[in-house]
Formats: sequence, structure tokens, C-alpha cells
Amino acid sequence: MRLITHNMLKCHVKNCSDPDKQFPLRFKGTAGAEEVKLEQIEAERNDEFLVRMLPRLEWGALAITAGELNIPLPDKVPSDPAADDGFLQALHTAILEMHVLEGTMFCNGCGHEYKITKGIPNMLLGEHEI
Amino acid sequence: MPKFIVHFVHFHTDFRRAELEALSRLEGVAVECDEQTGGDDSPFLVVEVASAEAAARLVRRGILVRSIAEYWGSGATYDEVFAEVRRRPERWAEHAQRSFRFTVEAFGRTLTQAEKVAVIESFSFLGLEGPIRMHGAETEFLVCEEHGDPPVRNGPKRVWFGRVVGRGSRHLIDRFDVKKRRYLGNTTMDAELSLIMANQALARPGALVYDPFVGTGSFLLTCAHFGAHTVGSDIDGRQIRGTAGFRRGVDGLQANLAQYQLAGRVVGTAVFDICHHPWRPGPLFDAIVTDPPYGVRAGAKRLGRREGSAPRPGRSPDCYPPTVPYEMSDVIRDLLDFATDKLVVGGRLVYWLPTVADEYEPADVPQHPALRLVANSEQPFGGWSRRLITMEKTAQAAGSAADSAAPAHRNFRDRYFAGFERKDPTY
Repeated sequence: MRLITHNMLKCHVKNCSDPDKQFPLRFKGTAGAEEVKLEQIEAERNDEFLVRMLPRLEWGALAITAGELNIPLPDKVPSDPAADDGFLQALHTAILEMHVLEGTMFCNGCGHEYKITKGIPNMLLGEHEI
Repeated sequence: MPKFIVHFVHFHTDFRRAELEALSRLEGVAVECDEQTGGDDSPFLVVEVASAEAAARLVRRGILVRSIAEYWGSGATYDEVFAEVRRRPERWAEHAQRSFRFTVEAFGRTLTQAEKVAVIESFSFLGLEGPIRMHGAETEFLVCEEHGDPPVRNGPKRVWFGRVVGRGSRHLIDRFDVKKRRYLGNTTMDAELSLIMANQALARPGALVYDPFVGTGSFLLTCAHFGAHTVGSDIDGRQIRGTAGFRRGVDGLQANLAQYQLAGRVVGTAVFDICHHPWRPGPLFDAIVTDPPYGVRAGAKRLGRREGSAPRPGRSPDCYPPTVPYEMSDVIRDLLDFATDKLVVGGRLVYWLPTVADEYEPADVPQHPALRLVANSEQPFGGWSRRLITMEKTAQAAGSAADSAAPAHRNFRDRYFAGFERKDPTY
């Protein structure tokens, strides 16, 4: 799972409704430790896509996640991101090249855990949670 | 504006104009269609486009377009064609010294080699002096006899003549042929329709496209091929991972991403039920492209529990939650509501709607106040049809899909297995 996908997913357990806690989902453990397996896979950069996605990203949440996983991310979005090559490259690497292959996400509100296996997050809920 | 002849394939006829409109939007090429041409029984459509360069751009992604030719003439007989071509001799001069070839075809019958040669000879008045090249000619002329569908007696109905300036992308059908894919399932969409859907969705560089019933991921591949980034989800993770179906052990969708070298743009997949989805609020996607489960080949499921059944005691935490059947008309209503929330304004929803052929009414296509119907193309299968519906989000608005009284796709699964017998024998 890439960080761009992670940045769009929230906890959706019934009755877990505090928007400040259900998003972003947090990671158990830290990168490098046993709990989270990260891999960087090179991908072709598309500046148009990055610039178009910027308004759809929750930057604060992305910064929290990148910090948890020790993935470098610029502090803030520059005033003219389309012209800032260094920023775009860092953003590209962070949201499109870094993959969480194995790990467990949890909700800061209700504590529900979502497992990531072979890069695919399992977001299914149990019947008492829907 | 100069005239051109769009030469379509004569297949999926109801999809051709819809695709051309999508291509016009994608490439920013304005098109004026001559409505006297290009009916369902003819593969030739006369259009006006600003230039030959724009015409080539217009059709370059076309799946149902064979080629586009600069219009030089047409008529009920060859003599009428010659007369029209002779009126513009200044056009010939430019091509007099270039290498050239003629492509002679007939629609509705087959021409012998001798007939084709005779047709080419009849155009000798053009005075072409360049060398003939079957491959890589600088100038290609297209002569096509239209005998009609069904063919008329003593045809042709019309003869078309023009200079080919661009081609569609029919070769992609072979590239994405499902038989050549490393991984597929029993619901994998055929390559041609998957590619057409990518065009309808305006899949292009910079766009994010989502398939909520991703299955084995056909649309992720075709949309990513055209430069879009794609994501998918499914309630059944076995389809994505490749641990179910008839090609196990090839690493599922990942195997196809490697085969087509599209892993860079296929952003990811996740396992969840679209009825209880974890996407955060607000618009995220430029297009939603999907083939919802009809419940015929893939049983449509949503999370839930049948009334009266009790959970098994002592189930493991990794156990899949119980599911209940998901009725087709509910699937569609939920899909429209989802699209209204999750598409950006101007974003497109492209999906298949099965309908019972005899009972279909245009009003059966679900409506939504925030979605405009852009195209509705039918693929008939006898007793039933499926329709490719393209909608565009017009406004950021709340609201719910207006439920038509009893759409023809309601209880589609039961009707399918009952052989589409009429509900009301007096009807």
C-alpha cells in the first residue's frame, strides 16, 4: 500500500465517528522494526498528477504518517509546487514509491486494527462493526 | 472546416458515436458530424475537423475507429466520385511525387484482387508519379465501396474516397487480449470493451480512476495504459491476490501489472465492501469505472447476516465476515450515490447496467440530480442486454438516486435464470 492510498482511508467502524481520531490510521510499531515492512519501488514521475492530487491530499495527516514510517516529506507545500522540482520529487517518492508491504494500521479512536498483507490492506469489518 | 471520413469498425455500433464524443473531449478537438451519414447500418461518418493534424489526434485512441481520411469524394457510382475529385486538382499536386499506396475495401461484400486492381487503375487520372510502397508510403488513399448492411443488390450504395491521415488504436485489443494475460478470472471483461470504457471515462495522464468492484483488475490496466493512475477495491480479496479462480499461483493482479509494466500507475488495491467503505469524505476520483456484479456469474454480496442465522461460536478473528445477497438495483443506487460524493465535478461514472431487452425503457436508467447522462450504449445478448452508461458529475450536491418505480434490472438475477419470462402474461 502506497501512502497516497493510506491518505484516503479512514476507520469506518460503526459508531467510530470522531473525524479527528478515525483519520489518519496509525501504524503499529515503527519502520525498521518488525511490525512494518517497507519497500521503495521506483515509479515514473508524473508532475501533472502530483499537482492535481495536492488539493485532494490531507497534508497534515500525510506528515503524521510519513513521520511514523520515517519517510522524508517536505515540511509544507510551496506556493508554486508545479515549479519546484525538489518538492515534487520528494512528494513523488513519499506517496507513490514507498510501499507498505506488511503492517498493521489501527484507529486512534476505537482501536480497530486493519492488517496489510502483501501490500493489500484488508479493510473488511466484522458483523458487529457495520 | 475541412471534411473527413471516419471509418469505424462495424461492431458495437451503439458505442461508436459515444466513443467519438469522448475522444473529442479527451483531445480537445471540436467535431461537427454530418448526421446524414454514419447511421447504425453504416461504418462511414463524415465529420468536419479543423485540420488533418487534429483529425489524426482525434482518433488516435479510438478503439472502434479504424482510420480517418481526408474527404476527397463520394458518390453512388465511381463516375460521381471521379467528378468530385477532379474538381480539386490543386490537391493532387502535393502528392504527385510522393510514395503512395491504395487501400481498396468493400463493406458488405468481398472484392477480388482483379477488381481491386481495376479500381486502383481507374484513379490513374490523379497522375501519381511517386513509387508504390505497400509499407510506409507517404500518402495512403482509401477507396471503400459501401454495399450496406444488409447488402443491397446491384450495389454499391456509395463509394468513398479519401486520403488516410490517422488511425485508431485497434492494435491495443490484441495487446490486452485476455487470453494473453497471465492472470484472469471468470468475470474478466474483454479487452475491447475495457479499452472503450477507459475512453468513456476520459482516462488520461493526471487523472485518478477507481473501480469499486475491481475483481481481476481489467479496468485498472486499460485506464493506466492511457496514462491515468488507478485504484481498485473488492469485497473478495482472493480475486485480487489470485488465490481463487482458475489461474492460481501467479500472484494475481500483480502478475498482470508486471506483464504490462503498469505497476507504477496502478496505485493500489484494498479489500472492503463498497457498502461499508473506508474512503474519507469528499471528492477523490476523476472517474469511477466498473462492472458491478449482476449476481449471475459472480454472486453479488454485501456484508451482513441473513435474518435468523446466528454467528458460529469461537470463530477466529481472521474469519471472513458473513455476507448476504446484494440486489442489482440496490447496487446501482448505491453506486450512483457513491459517485456523487466521491467524484470531482466534471468526473465521470462509467458502468454496465443489465436490462431485460423487451421491457427496457429509457427511464430505467437510474438518474441522479448531480449526474448528467452522457452516453447509453447497448450490447444486446438476445433476451437481455447490458448497457454501458456514462454519467458526468455536474455539481457538488447532496441527494439520493431517484428510485424508478420498477426498473428492468430489478431482480435481474432471478429473471436471468427464469429465461426472462414475462411477469405479466396479459402484457
